[in-house]
Amino acid sequence: MKFPVEPFELPPDKRESLRRAKRLEWVTIFFLLSIIAAVGLTMGASQTMKAMWTEDLLSLVPPVAFLYGARYLGVPPDDRFPYGYRRAMMIAFLCAAVALFGFGLYIFADSVAKLIMAEHPTIQTVEIFGRRVWLGWLMIAALVYSAVPPFVLGRMKLPLARELHLKALQTDAAVNKGDWLSGLAGVLGLVGIAYGYWWADSVAAGVISFEILRDGFGDLKNSVAQLMNKRPSDVESKEKDPTVDEVQKALERLDWVREARVRLREDGDVLTGEAFVVPRDERDLLKRLEEANDAAHEVDWRLHDINIVPVESLEEGKGGKTRAAGA
Amino acid sequence: MLPRRRAVLVLALCLLATACGELPRDPEGALGRVRGGRLRVGLVEHPPWVVRTEGEPSGAEVELVRRLAAELNARPEWHWGGEQRQMEALERFELDLVVGGITKSTPWSKYVGLTGPYFEETYAVGFPGSPTPPKSLKGVEVAVRGGDPAAYYLSKEGATVSRVSSLTPVSGPVAAPTWELDGLGLVASDKELHTEKHVWAVPPGENGWIKRLEEFLSRERPQVKGLLQKESAR
Repeated sequence: MKFPVEPFELPPDKRESLRRAKRLEWVTIFFLLSIIAAVGLTMGASQTMKAMWTEDLLSLVPPVAFLYGARYLGVPPDDRFPYGYRRAMMIAFLCAAVALFGFGLYIFADSVAKLIMAEHPTIQTVEIFGRRVWLGWLMIAALVYSAVPPFVLGRMKLPLARELHLKALQTDAAVNKGDWLSGLAGVLGLVGIAYGYWWADSVAAGVISFEILRDGFGDLKNSVAQLMNKRPSDVESKEKDPTVDEVQKALERLDWVREARVRLREDGDVLTGEAFVVPRDERDLLKRLEEANDAAHEVDWRLHDINIVPVESLEEGKGGKTRAAGA
Repeated sequence: MLPRRRAVLVLALCLLATACGELPRDPEGALGRVRGGRLRVGLVEHPPWVVRTEGEPSGAEVELVRRLAAELNARPEWHWGGEQRQMEALERFELDLVVGGITKSTPWSKYVGLTGPYFEETYAVGFPGSPTPPKSLKGVEVAVRGGDPAAYYLSKEGATVSRVSSLTPVSGPVAAPTWELDGLGLVASDKELHTEKHVWAVPPGENGWIKRLEEFLSRERPQVKGLLQKESAR
């Protein structure tokens, strides 16, 4: 079945940005795997390093979810999914948010438990070129290595996430931030242990878990709200997206439109929804509606599949039960 | 954020360069206390590692502890007891060291610190007088001390296990650690039954103390086999 709706296509410059974002995520996966190997090799019996390792494993979720979701961005609508597949990205966003939140909870619970139990971490030595070297130094080296790629990659992802309005990518960048912060906490903790302060790394990890939990909770709330068709917001979900008002103004600028009211929702990266317009007169309505459609879509590249609904008045119930459902 | 990160990195590198020798330190100060003082050792009977006698304790690990105490100018203080009691005392810093044939797989590793393995005890089957031991143990009758877990690994290999009270006099194939087979003049099969990695138990988190012990043990490693053979020949 075909619908009179043009399949959404990203503008060429955005398509290039999306390709870059995907490349970054592949690079992230590659470095994460190498970090998992490096931390795994040095972890020994240390609980701290085990926590780091689990954390690095969890960090694989957002990039994998993103790449999986991104595969569906270009898939056109079909009979089974007549609205297309772009919402896959919102599921990726939810997965990434759950991973980030879980990761914060894990570090928090782990470090509090260790402090309560007054657990003194035992770290052995290894023989390197005939000398006994404390494993703690090798762990520090592994942690420094594990902090550098997420620091760089996270910073490269943020502008792309803003440009493409990909919240899954933004959350992944937050996970990267959590990664390098906790790597740093681990280094401080190990230096503390070297100086005989057994509690140092639990305290450092606990402090950093708050930062991660805050990001994770915010993203979790946002991803669920987005699935509930909340009003669109910017990628950090701090401010409401100005596009809704802009579309409304663009429609009201048309001289045959008396009033307009717009409601939009996020479908992954695109904005979709309907615009109710009250025409001054109904001559040539079909042609005028098409004109309104063009005017609305020109406001922003992310607008797609906006339905222009002509109504007599904007009062509740005037759009009819079927057209303005829920009104 | 960047300058702070760099500062931490530089700090870490400086520590690596200058302080590798003195660090890590012990949170509870074990090494400092033992040096020139007393060394509180928990002994768990486990011949030939730790042997209880009428007088002074003996055994391969007891001998090693004596050498360590001499190096540290410390006076060893022996405390006999079961593993449960010794490990609980160790966890609460009432002992500095527990020996008694403890291996890396001990479940106590959750509560106390362990040194790295310093001796690998490999169980194999020894054959009297045969220059080329058979490749497979299937159907071969092998003697093993009653109550030795090696019996399990033997039956997994398909051998007919005969549990005996003493391995000597040797009358046929025998399953025992390779150091013991050597002492009995038996040719060990290539097939290894099982390996136990021996460690010492230390208070949790006393990382400087562990480092000192591991340095000592890695130096003494070549002597361990001889000590074990000497002890079991008594």
